[in-house]
Amino acid sequence: MSYFRITLHRSAIGLPKRTRGVLAALGLHRRGQLVFKPVSAQFAGMIMKVKELVRVEEVDRPMTKWEVYESRKPPAGFVVEGVAARREPLGSKVLAKLEEEKAAAAAEEVRL
Amino acid sequence: MFGPFRITNVLNGGLLWKIPWRLSPTQKARQRKRLRAVDQVIEVVSNALAKKGETLKSLDRWKAEMPTEAEMLPRDKYTMFDRKAKRYRKGIHKLPKWTRVSQRVNPPGY
Repeated sequence: MSYFRITLHRSAIGLPKRTRGVLAALGLHRRGQLVFKPVSAQFAGMIMKVKELVRVEEVDRPMTKWEVYESRKPPAGFVVEGVAARREPLGSKVLAKLEEEKAAAAAEEVRL
Repeated sequence: MFGPFRITNVLNGGLLWKIPWRLSPTQKARQRKRLRAVDQVIEVVSNALAKKGETLKSLDRWKAEMPTEAEMLPRDKYTMFDRKAKRYRKGIHKLPKWTRVSQRVNPPGY
């Protein structure tokens, strides 16, 4: 099933009530808004009514709200190439040294 | 002749809008761009419906009656019929909301 990806490109300010009504029926309330409608004669007729105001593409599936949000984000300006090694937990070196000393002491005991 | 109380059209009659007689080259370029944008919408919609095997009367009428941007004459792109105008033509920018309405065909012979 394919969908129309409809973006409101031009505002309907000052246009007839019928035109604004069609946009409201499509769910387009502000410029730049994006809606997805299944391909059918009904929605095609609505697009024909407002063809001067919208930009239309045909897509396989509608984008989720999150995908639309992500697609609107500006680029971060940096790329993460790799994650640096995590720091060891605080005091781990001291504990390791203590363990070593204990083991050495035990070995001494055994030797004696 | 000079000074704050000189008689000009604006001071005399109040409102005076000066709409240029013809479109500028950039206005014409943007007009072509808008025409192509509408053609693009028509193409997408008609392709999508053809794939589903559905038909739409308004779409068929548009495709039968309206020329595309490439098929249009410059006369029809930038001017329109007006029975009151000299030589029956006026700039398309005199049409209210001209950037958001379709005005492609004119009476035959004019």
